[in-house]
Amino acid sequence: MKFTINRDTFIKTLNDVSRAIATKTTIPILTGLKLDLTADQLTMTGSDADISIEASIPVTQDTAALQIAEPGSIVLPSRFFTEIVKRLPEKEMTITVTDTQQAVITSGQSEFTINGQISDEYPLLPEIAADHSLQLPADVLREVIAQTVIAVSTQDSRPILTGVHIVIHDGALLAVATDTHRLSQRVVRLDGAGDADYDINIPGRSLTELARTIPDTVATIDVRIAENQVLFRLGDTAFFSRLLEGNYPDTQRLLPTEHTTALTVAADAFQAAIERASLLSHESRNNVVRLVLTPEANTAVLSSTSPDVGTVQEEIAFKTLTGDTLDISFNPDYMKDALRVVGPSDVTMAFTSALRPFTIEPAEATSQFIQLITPIRTF
Amino acid sequence: MLGRLPIIRHDERRIIHLDMDAFYASVEEREHPEFVGRPLVIARDPRETRGKGVVTTANYVARQFGVHSAMPANQAAQLLAGEPVIWQPPNFTLYRAVSDQIHGIMHRVTEFIEPVALDEAYMDVTRRFPDWPQAVRAAAYLQRSIRQETRLTSSVGISYNKYLAKLASDYNKPFGRTIITPEAAPLFLDRLPIRKFQGVGEKTAPKLLAMGITTGEQLRALSLTQLTDAFGKFGYMLYRRVRGVDDRPVAYARERKSIGKERTFAPFLQSDEACTRRISALAAEVAELLQSKQRKGSTITLKMRDGDFVTETKRVTLAEPTQDAQRITTEALRLWEAYGTGMLAQGIRLLGVTVSGLVPVTMENLTLPLFGEPL
Repeated sequence: MKFTINRDTFIKTLNDVSRAIATKTTIPILTGLKLDLTADQLTMTGSDADISIEASIPVTQDTAALQIAEPGSIVLPSRFFTEIVKRLPEKEMTITVTDTQQAVITSGQSEFTINGQISDEYPLLPEIAADHSLQLPADVLREVIAQTVIAVSTQDSRPILTGVHIVIHDGALLAVATDTHRLSQRVVRLDGAGDADYDINIPGRSLTELARTIPDTVATIDVRIAENQVLFRLGDTAFFSRLLEGNYPDTQRLLPTEHTTALTVAADAFQAAIERASLLSHESRNNVVRLVLTPEANTAVLSSTSPDVGTVQEEIAFKTLTGDTLDISFNPDYMKDALRVVGPSDVTMAFTSALRPFTIEPAEATSQFIQLITPIRTF
Repeated sequence: MLGRLPIIRHDERRIIHLDMDAFYASVEEREHPEFVGRPLVIARDPRETRGKGVVTTANYVARQFGVHSAMPANQAAQLLAGEPVIWQPPNFTLYRAVSDQIHGIMHRVTEFIEPVALDEAYMDVTRRFPDWPQAVRAAAYLQRSIRQETRLTSSVGISYNKYLAKLASDYNKPFGRTIITPEAAPLFLDRLPIRKFQGVGEKTAPKLLAMGITTGEQLRALSLTQLTDAFGKFGYMLYRRVRGVDDRPVAYARERKSIGKERTFAPFLQSDEACTRRISALAAEVAELLQSKQRKGSTITLKMRDGDFVTETKRVTLAEPTQDAQRITTEALRLWEAYGTGMLAQGIRLLGVTVSGLVPVTMENLTLPLFGEPL
């Protein structure tokens, strides 16, 4: 195997693939990067068993200046290889693989020889049939991921909650995640989804990495779903993820249908107030802020206390406040995350009681996006 | 570059430091009158432990031979060779009971008590006894009442901050009572040998001596820069202390930061099964303590020490605080499986389970009823 390539282009693709490469693994070969050179393209593969990323650089891509001397393949130790490639002196580099699975990397006057492994030992990526494929706009997918992964559980005690539940049905995609203290659900219409009907759970970490991997240049993402795998095609990159087994709990029944108090605020201003309050809540062991809503007096007061540092109290500027008086406490970090993914718009929070979850929705119901936060009982 | 550091001496507080005289040894002498007058060492007889073990404390007779706490029991035995030594293993249950009794007496004087150990506490009596003669009378009352009700002696120090109060109680032991007023403090500190400054020990003392410093007066002559260059943060502290400045409050009713239990095993535990059983038992005890203190915690720590004295402490932080025995056990056992089983070859001499990040049980982040619980 032998090729010469533009180093910047190579590094860009290498960075994408590296996202999947395991630092710790039970399968040693997965700490490696697989390089596969055919007559018309170079393919790189990285995997940690949960996520696999395969990216290709075609010989036709101008910026790559890929010159193929001899096809072949090898697995190289990813960490060393990456460090080496990033520090090479020239714009171009050449990689030659010997019969003894050694890779000679040259660039200018610099030459490295590193030991590789035979690529036949690298696990095969799943084959996913093309007949069930679905097209999603990249920006929509990115938004849905950002809005739901925040609520994914980071605890292993309930593995199913470490994923985002995705239901595709009746021409719509519903994504929901919850860690039991908060829930985030987004529904988008799918044009041209036809009669696609899926109910899957994708690990939250996979989606986070996927969102980072989607290049700005890709407008449409091709999604293929199999028994226990999902494949996202982003241009020349294929992103595979394992699916979580098990049934996601029924979350629809948790969404309140009525409320007794409602508060509408500008998300960014409220976000800033929450951040001020959490300066103190973070110093206390409980991390609680308190919101006292008094529609009669037309006041909404946010406060927090740290026994060691002091207290903060702030009258919140709001657009509207209606309903009953309410005194509720919650974790400000959940609220910060929730407001962040709503974006710069007005949000409406709807409450039923101090001990019931409350909803957060964009005030203008342009998108079907609802979040739930459970309060903290303080007495 | 800094100019002169302004130092403000706050001397309006009235602080009492109470220190029981050779507490454990005195309690033993009270329980065993036949011990009085003989050298008494609170430790197991080194002949029974094949030379292992350290001195917990010793009575004044034994101290005259140079025996002190934390000394290897073997060494104490050499110092006391030929003497009618009494080796008494510590009875912490008894000491704790006596300590509780003494705390009861302190509570008659003030609620602002900061216990330092079973035998030592600071009290802030400013509010109730703002005048020096009143504060001194309160200290005398404590000594008298403790003496009458427990037949034990104590030494007290009275001053305007914790540092000086402790120096004062240490100044005249046993059964001493020393007062350091703001007026007397400079002279007292000037004359104090540097060894007596709290915190000046094995590392600092030789350095100071090498700098030609033997008294407080000479220490006070050093600049802040000289002290911080030589001793860092501790130098800054010394700079303040030698000027009679210590603004640390008496941390009364200090909230507990963690609740834990640990146990040493002899013989060492050799099997996974034995360790698992002990960890489960410790976890259950901790859960019970949490429940009795109305606390729950989110960080669970497992401490493991093997036969070679290699100690590992591993922790896991939960999303939600718990006081549930089952949960604490599960997490502790997970840590054991991940980190402890590899230590089994050397045998396990100590295991401990601790829960920290404590919050009152009443504080609870409610959960969504995802798994069939009623709404």
